[in-house]
Amino acid sequence: MTETDATRAGEVTVEVPRHPSANDHESHEVVFDVDGLTVSYGASRALENVSLTIGAKQITAFIGPSGCGKSTFIRCFNRMNDLIPTARVEGSVLYRGEDLYAEDVDPVEVRKLVGMVFQKPNPFPKSIYDNVAFGPRVLGMKDKLDDRVEHALRQAALWDEVKDRLTASALSLSGGQQQRLCIARCLAVEPEVILMDEPASALDPIATSRIEDLMHELKRAYTILVVTHNMQQAARVADRTAFFSVTQGAEGQRTGILVEYDETNKIFTQPSDKRTEDYVTGRFG
Amino acid sequence: MLQEEGQLVIRALRGALRALVEHDVELADEVIAFDDEVDGRYFAIEEGIQSLLARQTPVAVDLRLGLAVLHVNLHLERMADYCVTIAKLVKLAPETADPRLIEGFEEMGQRAEEMTRVALDSFADRDLERAESLVDLDELIDRANRRVVHHVLELGTTPELREWGLRMLLASRCLERIGDHAVDVGERTAFLVTGEFREFTDASH
Repeated sequence: MTETDATRAGEVTVEVPRHPSANDHESHEVVFDVDGLTVSYGASRALENVSLTIGAKQITAFIGPSGCGKSTFIRCFNRMNDLIPTARVEGSVLYRGEDLYAEDVDPVEVRKLVGMVFQKPNPFPKSIYDNVAFGPRVLGMKDKLDDRVEHALRQAALWDEVKDRLTASALSLSGGQQQRLCIARCLAVEPEVILMDEPASALDPIATSRIEDLMHELKRAYTILVVTHNMQQAARVADRTAFFSVTQGAEGQRTGILVEYDETNKIFTQPSDKRTEDYVTGRFG
Repeated sequence: MLQEEGQLVIRALRGALRALVEHDVELADEVIAFDDEVDGRYFAIEEGIQSLLARQTPVAVDLRLGLAVLHVNLHLERMADYCVTIAKLVKLAPETADPRLIEGFEEMGQRAEEMTRVALDSFADRDLERAESLVDLDELIDRANRRVVHHVLELGTTPELREWGLRMLLASRCLERIGDHAVDVGERTAFLVTGEFREFTDASH
């Protein structure tokens, strides 16, 4: 899904992939409002004072060098950092105006609304059907299960490839298919947001391209956040991009900070911060 | 968008020619103002290509297309600028007119318009042969230009006629340059199709 070159009668159209909702942040409702977010693992500060807002039905990418805290950051949106004993989160993350970290918030409920797909596809050692049906079953969404499974698999652009073998083991699928299965699994519980942490880095270029095309489709209905170490991927898929970098303290401690957050087009054509420019042009480090 | 820009160039060219042939100063002013439309398209296309290169990192034929569009865009913009120059010359020239020269201009104007069309169509269709035909068409404009120069030198000795002749010489040169840019567009079509950049004719022509 790259440039559209309409070479038919007399027309050369040059267009970056554009859906009606792209590139107009002001017209998007705010889904997440992050304010002064600081995350530490014990004495080590991974991420410092991050503030930004995430718009609905857009793809927002987090890029930056290793150790800049982008994976730590994305895990804040579905409280996955809770699972790390030494993790401490300060500042606030509001999900549609509600404090995600309030005392009375159920993290499991959060993870239903804010789904996640990981770098290495991790299907359960069950059938394709049971993988997708697992979430709805656990949550008591048992009505029309067959329809739910089919709908999720269609949305994940996997249905045609597996419809005749739903009882086959998920482990028999290729890497790219397994990743789409994980996306289907996520979609089956009707999330609003999908977090993707390096979703294609374990996949070959063609499988990667299919995941990227899928992301473009999915953003019509879902808000997508993606961490990627592949800048070109961010350039291709994201509407907005946040660049994180690493600062070094007096005693050599490394902490992640948000450097620049803007429309992807701007980040890759005319970034405001020199550090951003150094990173995207490859002069960094 | 490029084809749209091309159509605007043709309109500007016709306007400029009519203003020249009929010494219509008001039309000349319109042609000058109209250039903003072309410039608007020019900037939009340039930005679009920039964005495309930054975000899609095209390679092979996609990259050649992006680069070709960038260049054709510039050639079209320059052609429109020459139309503005012609219009400005109409405003500066006194009202005197020599019918043979007027005829010569009409001919040159038609050739220039034809070349613009051929350039745009052959680009859209990736038609290498048609693009190469622009060289022969250009030769015809060049000959017409030389005839204009010859006539200007034969004009009467009144200061008015001489001044008019000078302006018309420059206008003729503008038309000849429009033809050259059309050939350049043809060369970009060849580049797109073959991946090779070459001039259609040797510069010493």
